[in-house]
Amino acid sequence: TETLNIQSSFNAGDFTMQYLTEHWLPKVPQVTGGRYAITLKPNGSVVPAKETIDATASGVLDGDFTSVNYFSGLEPAFAIMADLISGYDTPEQMLGFCKTDQGEAMEQKIVDTVAHGDVQVVGCGPYSRESLPARVPINGFADMKGKKIRAPEGLASAVFAAAGASPVSIPFSEVYGALEKGIVDAADASAYINNATTGLHDVASYPLYPGIHSMPLMQFTLSKDRWSKMSAADRAALRDWWYAAMEDLIKVVDEQDRARVASDRAAGKIHIINWAQNDRDRMRGVARGEWLKYADKSPLAREALNAHIAYMKKIGLFKD
Amino acid sequence: MKRLLSCAATGIDRISIFIGQSSSVLLFACILASAVEVLLRYGFDSPTLWSTELSMTLCATAWVLAVGSVTQRNRHIAITMIEGLISPAAWRRLRLVQMLASVLAVGTLTVALWKPAMKVLARPEYSGTAMNSLQPSYLKVLLLVGCGLYLLQLAANIIRWVQRTEKEIPGGH
Amino acid sequence: MGIEIITLLIVAALLGLMALGIPLGITTLLVSLGTAILYFGERAGFFIVTANVTEVLHKYELISVPFFVFMANVLERSGIARSLFESMAIMGGRFRGSVGVQTCIVAVVLAAMSGIMGGEIVMLGLIALPQMLRLGYDKKLAIGLICAAGALATLIPPSVVLIVYGLAAQVSITELFAASIGPGILLASLYIAYILIRVRLNPALAPVYDIPETGLPFLKRLPFLKGVILPGILIGAVLGVIYSGIATVTEAAAIGAVGAVAVAAIRRELSWIMLRDAMRQTVQTVGSIIWLVLGAVALIGIYNRIGGGDFLRGVLTSLDVAPIVVIIVMMLIVMVLGTFLEWIAILFITVPIFAPVVVALGFDPVWFGVLFAMNIQIYYLSPPFGPACFFLKSVAPKEISLQDIFASVLPFIALQGVGMMLVLFFPQIATTIPALLK
Ligand code: NA
Ligand code: NA
Repeated sequence: TETLNIQSSFNAGDFTMQYLTEHWLPKVPQVTGGRYAITLKPNGSVVPAKETIDATASGVLDGDFTSVNYFSGLEPAFAIMADLISGYDTPEQMLGFCKTDQGEAMEQKIVDTVAHGDVQVVGCGPYSRESLPARVPINGFADMKGKKIRAPEGLASAVFAAAGASPVSIPFSEVYGALEKGIVDAADASAYINNATTGLHDVASYPLYPGIHSMPLMQFTLSKDRWSKMSAADRAALRDWWYAAMEDLIKVVDEQDRARVASDRAAGKIHIINWAQNDRDRMRGVARGEWLKYADKSPLAREALNAHIAYMKKIGLFKD
Repeated sequence: MKRLLSCAATGIDRISIFIGQSSSVLLFACILASAVEVLLRYGFDSPTLWSTELSMTLCATAWVLAVGSVTQRNRHIAITMIEGLISPAAWRRLRLVQMLASVLAVGTLTVALWKPAMKVLARPEYSGTAMNSLQPSYLKVLLLVGCGLYLLQLAANIIRWVQRTEKEIPGGH
Repeated sequence: MGIEIITLLIVAALLGLMALGIPLGITTLLVSLGTAILYFGERAGFFIVTANVTEVLHKYELISVPFFVFMANVLERSGIARSLFESMAIMGGRFRGSVGVQTCIVAVVLAAMSGIMGGEIVMLGLIALPQMLRLGYDKKLAIGLICAAGALATLIPPSVVLIVYGLAAQVSITELFAASIGPGILLASLYIAYILIRVRLNPALAPVYDIPETGLPFLKRLPFLKGVILPGILIGAVLGVIYSGIATVTEAAAIGAVGAVAVAAIRRELSWIMLRDAMRQTVQTVGSIIWLVLGAVALIGIYNRIGGGDFLRGVLTSLDVAPIVVIIVMMLIVMVLGTFLEWIAILFITVPIFAPVVVALGFDPVWFGVLFAMNIQIYYLSPPFGPACFFLKSVAPKEISLQDIFASVLPFIALQGVGMMLVLFFPQIATTIPALLK
């Protein structure tokens, strides 16, 4: 059995890391006839998260399983791929962009600009839609006006600004205190279940769920060196394995979100806000203008955005 | 030749001390920048997008560039218990071993850092935050410069060792 | 070659190079570069080392270290410690061992202002030690107390040790700070109890202190409290902004640094020369620290990649003993390393490996961080590499040898051990305050 050293952007104690290790890593030898196994290394344990593409290219890692957001500084197109703020309504939609549409090929093209053909993209897709914890009710698009929202990434802060909010850049470690003190009204954080577990809803009792902004994309890559030595059957098996794992993860995280939402609703202390479709569509319309501006940063970013928008039209998220 | 080398050593010492002392001013600026951010955020309700990246960049600069003056004063943390156990002559030889080991380590690191530094000079890497500064590219080049200063000061220290003009070394800690 | 052999070779290389007196940062860099090149060849080996060392400069929390060092340097150069000590002496009244008890309390207050240990020991060594020796205190009792109480600077928040632990273990620094208050006060109480018992059993160890003001009625002594006011405000400012969530630890450190300068100005002790010297001293101190961190981070990255982290975690989790025994084993490893290694190196090498095991065993990594910081207290004192002893030696009267100091700190190391066991078996000592703050 050949062991593939894959660094992920999950932390050692994360639910996702434990879930994958327990349920999905043991399946790798099964689907490859015992020829391959995968060890998933926690975020930053071998190299910093934003270096995993280079690390894979140079042979330090056999591949990565990383949130594409980390690469935003390397090429603006990564930011467009990583998290098309307020774009998709469900993770399944965006996963479809990678699995059945142009997403995977696009991600490969962007990775190639950094790795010069030494890294193979096996798959890409999100596994959760983040909810937005807020300390005041933001009942719809019109309520965004004047709200201070924590959003460290460039595209997210541009979209919030365009929606009339004022984005604030504070480190994640400060989110709790900032919400508690009213320094920000809402904060880009994580999935509902994670925000609930870390206690954010104690200080932000008007969470927006399902969320309206962020859906981070993960990528699964292998070094070309390893990839080229693999049989076509093993390649297909690994790709199928990964998408199956992501689809399962989407389901499990969603179930946890729903269970927690249900119990929070019943307890009555937390007021969960679900935007009307009309508000979501308005937000998406405004966001589209910001995506276009952001995509001006590089030809590849423009290309990635065009691919996204073509797909979104195909599935009915945009009419024109 | 001997005089030329000794002049070079003196010159390098001066450069290291000058950069080290200038670094201390950067550090102070960094402290002020962080304190001002708190004031702006809580006093005037207008947090900045630049504070974190600016303070980090200033501080990293001071931190890395101080290396010359630290090396010049032999302030690198080492365990020098062995000095009391061996003869002064043996310790003197060991001093050279220590400096050569440093040259080897820092020299290799310099070679290793060369490629990444040239890569970001050719194709800049941005921070990807709302501020999207050039900080990641800058820090890669900065570390390379720091290694250069370290090597330069090690060379000066070795010249002093050869010419037996080393100053009093404050042992270990 | 198996990972066991590689681990042994790495440890042997580290020890060998260190013994030659090669700087620790250079030692770890050499070993990590060597391992990386031998294992991966030049291209990949170089990549893994440079990727990790560059990332060190991106750690925002790390820049609180120079801020706290600067703050300590300013406080050290001001008379704040002296007036604090004098106020305490007068307020404390007269009883046997009173100066020892006051020293301990002053140490706690200084510790709550300063995140590093060196400055505090030097301050106490310059102010309290001559006083105690002049009054006829037992030399060993006085020396041991100052080293132990001075080391509290890195357990009682703010603390640079806890900041770096938080970075390495990826846990909240604010929670670590809150959790270490209880154990810090516990250790201080143990030291005070120890002194009171010793002087009770043997009155010759400490004569009763008699400066005239202590004889005044309590109300008349109140005005002497003013030496406590400024430190109080400074502590409130730094810890207040951290716990209220107003600012990051780094920003709180900046506020503390600016606050220390303000305090010096109010006391009319501020001068350009003083400020300049404090800044230069800071750059010298932190300038050597960064290379230690660079080397240690490079080493742990390469060691993780070749499977060393998984190997050691496997060894620790597969031990057929109660989970708490695994924690004790980790503590013993840190303690042994603490006799000869620098704390930053110990931390960066052990914590990335230990912390996931601690979580996997079902323990709280914040609680473990407090235990780690308490262990670092022992490291500061334990010979032969006991930095607290070195710091005291640098300011103690000439006739006091390093051997005297080492002998004096032994009972206090035992007390630190007792404190650590208490927190180990009664985690509430650490976890109560963070729970209250939540
Ligand atoms: Na402290
Ligand atoms: Na020690």
